[in-house]
Amino acid sequence: MIQLKNVSYTYRKGFGLANIDLKINDGEFVFLIGPTGSGKTTLLSLMHMEIFPESGKVTIGDFDSDTIKKRKIPTLRRSIGLISQNYHLLDDRNLFENVALPLHVIGHNQNDISEAVEEALDEVGLSGFEDHFPQELSGGEQQRACLARALIKDPKIILADEPTGNLDPVTSFDLVKLLEEINSEEGTTVFMASHNYSLIKSRNHRIVEIHDGKLRSA
Amino acid sequence: MNKFLFLLSEGLKNLWRHKLTVFTAVFSVFLSLSTIGVLFIAEQNTHKLIEYMRSKYKIEVFFKDSITNDQASHYLQEIRKIPGVYSTTLITKDEALKVYRSQFGDDLTEFLQYNPLPASCVVNIKRQYDGMLKINPIIEHIKEIEGVDTVNHQGRLISRIETFYEQGLLGLSGIAFAIILVTVMIISNTIKLTIYSKKDLIKALKMIGATHTFIRMPFILEGVFQAVIGAALASALLYGAVAGANELLSQLTVFTINVQWMFLSWLFLIAIIISLFGSSRAISRFIK
Repeated sequence: MIQLKNVSYTYRKGFGLANIDLKINDGEFVFLIGPTGSGKTTLLSLMHMEIFPESGKVTIGDFDSDTIKKRKIPTLRRSIGLISQNYHLLDDRNLFENVALPLHVIGHNQNDISEAVEEALDEVGLSGFEDHFPQELSGGEQQRACLARALIKDPKIILADEPTGNLDPVTSFDLVKLLEEINSEEGTTVFMASHNYSLIKSRNHRIVEIHDGKLRSA
Repeated sequence: MNKFLFLLSEGLKNLWRHKLTVFTAVFSVFLSLSTIGVLFIAEQNTHKLIEYMRSKYKIEVFFKDSITNDQASHYLQEIRKIPGVYSTTLITKDEALKVYRSQFGDDLTEFLQYNPLPASCVVNIKRQYDGMLKINPIIEHIKEIEGVDTVNHQGRLISRIETFYEQGLLGLSGIAFAIILVTVMIISNTIKLTIYSKKDLIKALKMIGATHTFIRMPFILEGVFQAVIGAALASALLYGAVAGANELLSQLTVFTINVQWMFLSWLFLIAIIISLFGSSRAISRFIK
């Protein structure tokens, strides 16, 4: 479960989030819609505990922003799959190495890693691309590789920050469908931020809207 | 274990991934350690030279005319207790007369009817001193002994040699320290450049839940590998240079360069400490 209770956060320049209340149940698929600069990334950064609220509390499963110790943040992040429009794939490693990275962090052995990478790439439709480097892939393929890297550690939650931001409409639609499949088949909670209302309006999921750092149900 | 093997392989792969920066760091470690090694060898051999010179330092002590040989022997024991004194050799009145006779051919007792030469002794100074040997306190101490009449010595010359030696040692230590400092800075900056070029990797690792140790370790290992390679190259150069120089010297002089090769293990240790210090310094600024 993800819960934000009366959360506020201000950047030095002044803007941020004000009195956010939000609850996302386990296995739920929720869209976060809002224009550029409305606070979507800030909200996701709070959930990923890259930043901490000035007031209020963020709870992600067993962890909350008030009591979490610095050394426990990596443990929290291992239960979250984060994907963003910038992919953050490593150019000097092939797809296999990129997708395998989270399992090396956890300390799996090479045989388990090979199996899991094959499975994750298959799940996102990138089987056979293991030896390709990120720059040899299209935007859609890179985003799916990024999703494979998020899925390989069986996350309870997927936080997607504008994952379709650099993709064409068809590829964007395919990616949302893929996230929906993961949500329905694995029971993974998905929280996806987007500014593209036309992409999500026809989907049968809860939509919350953010505007000038304030939240309202759409 | 799997994590450690992964981090180790990452550290090794990073050497290849960052070839240019690695070359800079290895080359600077190599240069620094070679210079430190040369300084160390120079210090060891200068030490031998100063010990040889100290073995030649002599203080001649003449006792008062009234002092008998037995009394002189007693004073010799007192002199031997002075810190810095290695040995004493008594020259009795009779021995002094023999020396006079052998050097000048005259027998003083024939026309004086007695032996006017006093008992004396030669004082040798300890060779092994960590720092500068201070000769003046030894001379002052000898002069204070009751039966001593005159003390002949090369005090000023010895003091000048010793001061020169001490300043030389200080200079060598200063240069070595400066080199170590510069190497730490170079390694630190090299790792900083590496880390800066790996911002994406660090961001990705944080995203997927890597701990700080996991993120830092490949950079630290990379630094250690650079240091070990640099130290190995420096050791090979020093070994080769000393062997070559000794080959050349053996044809020209009896003097050879002596080296306690155990010091190479110190070079490796210094290199590893320098690299750990340099890379930790860089990492702590970038990965918080």
